Amino acid sequence: MMKKIHLFTAMVLVFLLITTGVWAASPDTTGPIKIGFMGNMSAPFSLSAKAAAAMAVDEINQAGGINGRQIKLIVEDTKGEIPKAVEIYKKLVMNDRVLAVFIGEKVEMGVAGMEIGAELFPEYPHIFFSTIGSGDDIWHRVRDNYKKYRFGFQTYYAISTNYLKILAPDNIDCFKNQIKIKKVAILYEDMEWTKPLRQGIPNVSPSLAAIYKGKGVNVVYETTTSLDQKMFNPIFEEIAKSGADFIDCAVGYIDQPAFVKQWAQSSARNIPVFIWGGLAGMPPIWKMTEGKVNGIMVGSSLVRVAITPKTIPFMDNLVKNYKVGPIFGSHTTYDTIYGFKKAIEKAGGTGNIDNLIKQLEQVEEVAVLGTIGWDAKYHYNLPPPKYVTPIVQWQDGEMKVIYPLKYKMADYKAPKDLRK
Amino acid sequence: MSNILLQIIIYTVIWGSIYLLISLGFSLICGVLRIFHLGYGVVFILAAYVTWFFMEDAHLGFVPSILLMFLVQCVFALIIFYKGVFQRYMEEEEVLLTVSILIFLAVAHLANYLYPVTAGVSIPSTIIDDVLSIGGVTIAYQMILAALAGILVTAIYVLWFMKTRVGLVIRAISQNLPAALLMGANVNRMYYLAMILSVIPPTICMIMIAPFWGVDPFMGASLLMTAMLISILGGLGNLKGSIVASYLIGFIHASVSFIFVSRFMGLAALIVTLVVMIYRRGGIFAGETLW
Repeated sequence: MMKKIHLFTAMVLVFLLITTGVWAASPDTTGPIKIGFMGNMSAPFSLSAKAAAAMAVDEINQAGGINGRQIKLIVEDTKGEIPKAVEIYKKLVMNDRVLAVFIGEKVEMGVAGMEIGAELFPEYPHIFFSTIGSGDDIWHRVRDNYKKYRFGFQTYYAISTNYLKILAPDNIDCFKNQIKIKKVAILYEDMEWTKPLRQGIPNVSPSLAAIYKGKGVNVVYETTTSLDQKMFNPIFEEIAKSGADFIDCAVGYIDQPAFVKQWAQSSARNIPVFIWGGLAGMPPIWKMTEGKVNGIMVGSSLVRVAITPKTIPFMDNLVKNYKVGPIFGSHTTYDTIYGFKKAIEKAGGTGNIDNLIKQLEQVEEVAVLGTIGWDAKYHYNLPPPKYVTPIVQWQDGEMKVIYPLKYKMADYKAPKDLRK
Repeated sequence: MSNILLQIIIYTVIWGSIYLLISLGFSLICGVLRIFHLGYGVVFILAAYVTWFFMEDAHLGFVPSILLMFLVQCVFALIIFYKGVFQRYMEEEEVLLTVSILIFLAVAHLANYLYPVTAGVSIPSTIIDDVLSIGGVTIAYQMILAALAGILVTAIYVLWFMKTRVGLVIRAISQNLPAALLMGANVNRMYYLAMILSVIPPTICMIMIAPFWGVDPFMGASLLMTAMLISILGGLGNLKGSIVASYLIGFIHASVSFIFVSRFMGLAALIVTLVVMIYRRGGIFAGETLW
């Protein structure tokens, strides 16, 4: 009988320990601050983000660390596979006991990480950052279940609400002023992130086409292209027939070299094109298209313009000492680590994870692309004008900022004039 | 309406001829060696990346780079695929298919490792950098030239198979291998020749389409899919079938793009192929012969 009572008491104690969290591991408060970076090490964007993470860590360590503690960076390769990403996430949090996991990869990986992170969080308190994944999947989780997902932060402001409420109206004004557009053709890629642009968000914003109409620009053509499409000539033929004087391409993942090459050899080659992001905003596109990208406008953070005193040194140091070019995701990863550093300093250490989360919700720090910080309620990073992606135009082999005016490097030029 | 019709006709010819160039080598291997060559996508990757290597890293000119790349293509086809895989695993089809696709994937990943997208790989093979307007339809000259190359290469191949003694032997092997052996055909030598002949059209194709096509380390997969689709639709290993299927797919793509919406053109071609396969299991020109 006594044995049974002891066993029962022991079980109750174990239950209480687990449910009250006494057994839960709390973050280390001494020794190096361990952070994990995971990405697809075959993908250029992950490699560049990894180098940017290493650069931020090296700089911080050389400057004395965070509150005197060095940062230890653990890098893992997901190979672009979700099951592997989940295993790595568990390893980083449970075995390596990192304070934060940085996922520098597409949003699907970020979502997988966030889900497994939410399961681990009560026992292994940590912070999660998605520094490349775009769209709404991450911040919607924070919005819909803050308690469960409060440890997750997204350093990519290009979410649907911001696209429609901040970026699109701003861009349209730029194109109206600089190009005098009157009739637009809109091209979307067939992906989840363009759905709100195509359909609008109920009670939040109308569609992109409706925003154009509201600004007095007539939408004469709209179509959607698939990611595996290689032949875009029919689209350009249709656009030319529609009488559009501007092509707005809400694309980032389609075969942009093929798209650009075919535009430059189509009936629409004299119609100005704006591409929201992707390869067209990276330096190699000039070589890849043999200069056919001349005249294309694109949202790019890879242009050499000093948005802050950090911008140019960041780009130069990354190339010189880490042997990679700054591409999509490197800036955001670098800036996130500095924002994280400042939040730890403001929180007075790493011992209280909820205090650290609170500080991340309030922190603002000078970054490569403006100011890094996260929305207190939804955890996506602060949108323009805080964090900036300039609109550039390819002009004779160079990307020139045409907007925002504060960073303007050149006037817009018509594609046919640039080809002369 | 007449403008749409003209667009469909022009793009059917242009795209059909390019698809022919993509699929000709695949059909040839199917017809002569009776192998479903899942490593065929390698040819496109080698065409782009070996040329780039010779130009950028070995600092050779465009023409020497192209010639050396052709040499590498032939060596790769003969030593890696024919001697290393096909000859060794001819009787073990599943191993042959698996090893072939593994080689293809390994080459793609190697290309990605050596020359990731940031390397800016391109082939400067634009011959005429301008556009031609035909009745309101604008076409890049480079596309027209690629289409002409497709027609020309196919015509040479067909004539060669029909009019020469070596072509006759290859057709004989394709029709009845034991009989050809009994008649004294040097099958091994003909297989070597077929392997070399199979890399020429896709290599020319890659050079011709590079000015309007995306070049990346994984492009071989989509081009292999196109080659497979055309060969299946036309009848595996039948060149006549490949010609008809190329233009049929070109017509489907053009019609769907100009009448409906371009993103469905791939799906439409797959549906038509499926329907054809239901009613003609071996494809349009079902048969075990090359022609």
